[in-house]
Amino acid sequence: MSEQQTYEPRIVAFLCKWCSSAGSDLAGVSRIQYPANATPITVPCTGAISPMYILSAFNKGADGVLVSGCHIGDCHYIEGNYLARRKMHLIMQLIEFIGVEPNRFRMSWVSAAEGGKFAQVITDFVNDLKPLGPQEKLKKAERA
Amino acid sequence: MIDIKDIRDTARDMLTKGEARAVIGYRRGSRGMLAEPAFITNLEQADELVWDPTCFHNLSLYLVEDRKFLAHLRKTANAPIAIVAKGCDARSIVVLMQEHYFKREDVYIIGVSCEGTGVVDERKLAPLLNGAHATSAAFDGDDFVFTTAEGEKRLPAREVMADRCLECRNPFPKEHNAVFGEDKTGRQLAEPFAALTRFEAQGNSARWDIWSRHFDRCIRCFACRSVCPMCYCDECVVDSISFPVTAETTAEDKANRIRWIERSAVRSENITYLMTRAMHLAGRCTDCGECERACPVNVPIRLLNNKMEREAREKFGYEPGASIGGSSLVASFLDSDPGDFIR
Amino acid sequence: MSKKRTGVFVCHCGTNIAATVDVAKVAKEMAGENTVAFTQEYVYMCSEPGQESVVQAIKDNKLDSVVVTCCSPNLHEKTFRDNAQRAGINNFTVEIANIREQCSWVHKDKAKGTEKAIKISRSVVRRVNRNKPMDAIAVPVTRRAMVIGGGIAGIQAAIDIGNAGIEVILVEKQATIGGRMLQLSETFPTLDCAQCVMSPKMVEVNRHPKVKVMTYSEVQEVAGSVGNFRVKVFKRSTFVDPDKCKLCDECTEVCPVVVPNEYEHGLTARRAIYIPYAQAIPASFTLDEDACLGLNPVVCGKCKDVCETGAIDYDIRSQTVTEDVGAIVVATGFDLYDQANIPELGGGKIEDVLDGLQFERLCSASGATHGHVLRPSDHKEPKDVVFIQCVGSRDPAKHCAYCSKICCMYTAKHARLYKKHCPDGRAYIFYIDIRSGGKGYEEFVQRTMEDDDTLYLRGRVSRLYRHNGKVRVHGTDTLTGQNVEIDADMVVLALAMVPSKGTAEIAKTLKIGRDKDLFLAEAHPKLRPVESITGGIYLAGAAQAPKDIPETVAQAGAAAAKVIALLSQATLSRSPLIAKVRRSHCTGCGMCVEACPFIAIRLEGGKAIVNEALCEGCGSCSATCLRAAIDVKNVTQLQVYEMIEACLA
Repeated sequence: MSEQQTYEPRIVAFLCKWCSSAGSDLAGVSRIQYPANATPITVPCTGAISPMYILSAFNKGADGVLVSGCHIGDCHYIEGNYLARRKMHLIMQLIEFIGVEPNRFRMSWVSAAEGGKFAQVITDFVNDLKPLGPQEKLKKAERA
Repeated sequence: MIDIKDIRDTARDMLTKGEARAVIGYRRGSRGMLAEPAFITNLEQADELVWDPTCFHNLSLYLVEDRKFLAHLRKTANAPIAIVAKGCDARSIVVLMQEHYFKREDVYIIGVSCEGTGVVDERKLAPLLNGAHATSAAFDGDDFVFTTAEGEKRLPAREVMADRCLECRNPFPKEHNAVFGEDKTGRQLAEPFAALTRFEAQGNSARWDIWSRHFDRCIRCFACRSVCPMCYCDECVVDSISFPVTAETTAEDKANRIRWIERSAVRSENITYLMTRAMHLAGRCTDCGECERACPVNVPIRLLNNKMEREAREKFGYEPGASIGGSSLVASFLDSDPGDFIR
Repeated sequence: MSKKRTGVFVCHCGTNIAATVDVAKVAKEMAGENTVAFTQEYVYMCSEPGQESVVQAIKDNKLDSVVVTCCSPNLHEKTFRDNAQRAGINNFTVEIANIREQCSWVHKDKAKGTEKAIKISRSVVRRVNRNKPMDAIAVPVTRRAMVIGGGIAGIQAAIDIGNAGIEVILVEKQATIGGRMLQLSETFPTLDCAQCVMSPKMVEVNRHPKVKVMTYSEVQEVAGSVGNFRVKVFKRSTFVDPDKCKLCDECTEVCPVVVPNEYEHGLTARRAIYIPYAQAIPASFTLDEDACLGLNPVVCGKCKDVCETGAIDYDIRSQTVTEDVGAIVVATGFDLYDQANIPELGGGKIEDVLDGLQFERLCSASGATHGHVLRPSDHKEPKDVVFIQCVGSRDPAKHCAYCSKICCMYTAKHARLYKKHCPDGRAYIFYIDIRSGGKGYEEFVQRTMEDDDTLYLRGRVSRLYRHNGKVRVHGTDTLTGQNVEIDADMVVLALAMVPSKGTAEIAKTLKIGRDKDLFLAEAHPKLRPVESITGGIYLAGAAQAPKDIPETVAQAGAAAAKVIALLSQATLSRSPLIAKVRRSHCTGCGMCVEACPFIAIRLEGGKAIVNEALCEGCGSCSATCLRAAIDVKNVTQLQVYEMIEACLA
């Protein structure tokens, strides 16, 4: 098998507790299959996601980072996702600016009712990451 | 044209009347033509004040230092402090006030307008002097006049000005108590963000090629951080060396520090440091350009800050340092913020 | 700080987890974690013996924290936290690693599934390592409730809550309570008169000593949280004093304005001053401000002049009332799918094509035709009536994907009612399937089918149009494969049920979610069907999903029971997982103050201070702070950092 076929991107998925984590649960309940590349970290709200988390995940070797939360207007905490939208826009712009493939960072709105969408978001992300190969640019070098 | 006598008189007046306990300004430095920051507390020193194209320091840094020093001595200020501030410096002061670092009444802002020009970029100047050593610099209309051993050298300001001054949109310090020089807002010497636009025109992989070389060069001396008035935190989240231990510091605090980055100055850690810095300056950086000037290895740090500044301006309608009571970029939002990047 | 002693309990969930995740390997890997002192796997960790073994293991091994790798925390987090407390350790040192919904159920490849399960478990083990024991915050409860929506669901919930001795405010948008059920003529499968059932309920709720009915009112703003909501209700002025109104009807005689009557679905008209139905509660007229010529004696003022009791007063102002309540029931009901979306069936523009509710009003004794089924165009008895089921329902490509559940039944009822009114008429019913689950429902449909002049045709209708004074119906009978063409005197569409207009706004105001079909979302489809995702807010009736009257009444009762249980406690425990400031790192920049959606942070002495009563623990402050000087307890930045590390180890 070639490198391309065996390469499995490692994704850190930050999910808000109320919508996207619940949407991911629904994908499970509905047994919708999707690739196992994304490890979820559930946080109270996308508004709680510090840009440092994104940088840190890439620094530790994530091939892709996903941030997923409630649709605009549906935030359990009213405005958390608005604040996240602004912060994530900035971090995404910055990452792209220094020449990292923009497809390595992704943000989505997945409600608690969108199990199918959650599976699709992960599937698409994995498919988009595979051609990019391992993320080496921001990754901490292995110690000799 | 600004007559330096006016600034000196103001400083003297403030000190005489006890309206300021000190005046932070520029005086002739010990190295060639360059001005240096001056912390003036008596009348004689007021005559040392200068205003010329080498006054590039953002003096608001020394306001921060002053506050930290007073805090260290456990003293409170008995009078305001006066400060000479260019357009960009004055905006820095506004951001600091926005962040409650000072109250408006704590600071007396002596604004100086950059009028038609700005400050000099030594790197641009050096080749034009053909190896000569300038001992002074002066404004003269659209020109800068340098004194060298071979005599006077007159150069068009645009050729030797710092990029940030060429691109400056607000050379006039709007927030001030007194102000000298004409308001030349909208003078447009170069397109705003011209350097950024040029850089961004390159493709993704070209940008990475350039940045990766810069990131490799960074030695993490933290000069950029030291010179930045916005980096006033006692402890930097991305630096484990500066951890302050105070009476309030618990054992748990010591144990619970997050090592976002390793100490070693390798590419991945340098990137995370510089990216974090850019994120933390988003909406706060007023493009005084000191970080880039201070960098001993010539990392174009301004580009990163400029990128955030332009995103803030174009996507969120945000101008750093616009008003003391204004909202901060990352703690606020608009319904109209872009969301098309979200799936 | 001495090292943690964490116990990891790996659940097989029968084969739900064990089939696609190597549970033994997960346990073995976790045993290798520095802080893990004990691991165990079991076939059903949530079973009685499973739970006992957790309690025992905590005691035997002196564990101070627990990770259960099993299903979603929404299901059993509480179960295992209770167990921990039983075993004598703090319940906030227990966390769930979800390796079922988020792993075993969605990945078939066992090797990859196992690898992911290990990452998830490891990240939670690392998180728990820094969890602090904590006590829930006790908050007093406001012993009052609000019910939004005055249909059968809202009325039932209000009566049930009131009967428990708890004060209730029933808020209804319309000028009368009664909702949709009041518009029905008879109800399936017993064909008893809807109003005969409804009117006594309306009177009961209105006279109930514990219930305050607010009609013509809308919820504007909701603040606070479970146990202590503060609700602003906008009460529109009716310009009529209900205590003085004697229902003499003189005012409508003189009112010069005529507008379509929304209570009769446009089959009739009403005046600007009107009463929705004779049975309306409150029994009083309402002056429609939008229709009225101007509430001004100079412009018109006829109704005011003619009113003998002086009940009409143009100066009565709309007002905003603030109510403090501990719990809220949302029963905002349904609307019918908009016909404009179905151009092939005329888009609502063809005469004598009615929707189900219009047909109800035709059959109703209190309706436009006083209970005679007459077609609107010429007021003649229709001889051929076509009923079409599933209009807008079960059509994921173009309309609503879901089944509206009650249309099979009410169409059968409509056919029966029609035949009762016009014994010599013929009824044609286009259907896809007949869904008649429910007590007495199948028998009811069978009896309808047995009628010789009622013809059930299996198939869809493709087109409707006017033809020679009738409505031409183009359809297919899929059982015979024949195209069918009927010239009908009248067509009745069983339109899909959709959430009532304004559901989106109320969901936003209350911060409760909606499902993919835009109905209000329940917290769990099976185990928490009457709770919204937000604590203290409950759902009843068709606002949550299409349902019939008995189901609605049952759900209303269930919601009321939840409210009563909630409000019978003296205090509620609030999650202690709220923001905490590290004073040594706070510079007092105030960004957190600005970012907080709950106004829970203020600056004092140059440092941020969190108001524990207001903080909801969203973490917006934490992500905004440049100094990592503010954290949500037990989800600190350090914990997330270590989780990231674990995910990528």
